Amino acid sequence: MVQPDASSISQLRRGVLEYCVLALLRGNERYSYEIVHALGQVEGLVTTEGTLYPLLSRLRKEQLVSTTWRESDAGPPRRYYRLTAGGEARLATFLSEWIRFRDAVDTLLEGQ
Amino acid sequence: MTTPTELHPLADTYVKELRDAARRMPRARRNELLAEIRAHLAETAPAGVSQAEALTALEQLGEPSAILAEQGTDAAAPRRLGGHEIGAILLLMFGGFIVLIGWLGGLVLLWSSDRWTTRDKLIGTFVVPGGYAAAAYALLLISSTSECSGSPGHMTCTGGPTTLGQIGQIVLAIFVLGGPLLSALYLARRAR
Repeated sequence: MVQPDASSISQLRRGVLEYCVLALLRGNERYSYEIVHALGQVEGLVTTEGTLYPLLSRLRKEQLVSTTWRESDAGPPRRYYRLTAGGEARLATFLSEWIRFRDAVDTLLEGQ
Repeated sequence: MTTPTELHPLADTYVKELRDAARRMPRARRNELLAEIRAHLAETAPAGVSQAEALTALEQLGEPSAILAEQGTDAAAPRRLGGHEIGAILLLMFGGFIVLIGWLGGLVLLWSSDRWTTRDKLIGTFVVPGGYAAAAYALLLISSTSECSGSPGHMTCTGGPTTLGQIGQIVLAIFVLGGPLLSALYLARRAR
C-alpha cells in the first residue's frame, strides 16, 4: 500500500470544511473570528486558521452566506455571517450525501 | 473604523508580510483579507500577550503563503503587464506631445486601473505632470529666462543668471528629465 498522500487528505478536509462553516451558521449568525475559533477548537479539522478567511469570502461571493457589519463593545465593527436560503439548501443536500458517503466508507473500512 | 486594537509586534510584522505577499491580489479582496486577518490577530495576539502566546497564535493562523494559496491561483500567480497599464505609462510619459490630450488620456487610464494604489496613482500624476512634453517646455523656459531688450549700446537684461537661480534650474532640469522615467519604471513594477 502507498502512504495516504498528505495533499489528498488536505483536499478532503478542504472539501468538507465549507459545509462545516455552513453548519456552524445554522440557526445563528456569527462573526468571522467566532467561526474560525469554533472550527479551530475541533481537533484535526483545521490546520491553519488563516485559510478559513478566503473560504468565508468565497462563500459570500457564492451567496451561500450573507454578511452585515455590527458595532462591537470591544474594538472595531465586526462582520457577521448568516446562512442564505441558497446556503441552507446546499447544506441540506450535503448532509444527506455525507451520511451516505460516510456510511459507505465506514462499512468498507470496517470490513477490512 | 474606530481605533484599531494594537497588535503584538510579532503580529504586526506578520500583517506586513502578508500585505507584501498579497501585493498582486485585486485591491478590494486584499484589503478585505487584511482587515479580517488583522481583526483575528487583535483577538489572538494583541499587544501585551507574551512572546510565546503570540508565536502560538501566528502558528495557528498559518503562513501568509498558505492563506494566499487558499485565496486562489489568480492571487498567487505573477501577472503580466496589461495593455491598459502599458498604455497608461506610455501616455503619461509622451502623451503630452499630442496636444496635452494624450497625457490626460494617460491619467484616465492610470486612475481607472485596479493594479495601482492611490499612492501609486498620485506619484504617476504628479511626477511629472505632462510627462516629457512638460519637461521640454520647462527646459525651453529655463533657457530663455534671461532676456535682454533695448537698443544696441543701451541694453537692459532681466533675469540674468544668479548662482541660486542656476542651482534651482539644474534641480528643476533633473526633476523634469528624470521624473517621468523613474515614475514610469515605478508604475511598471507596481502593476505586476
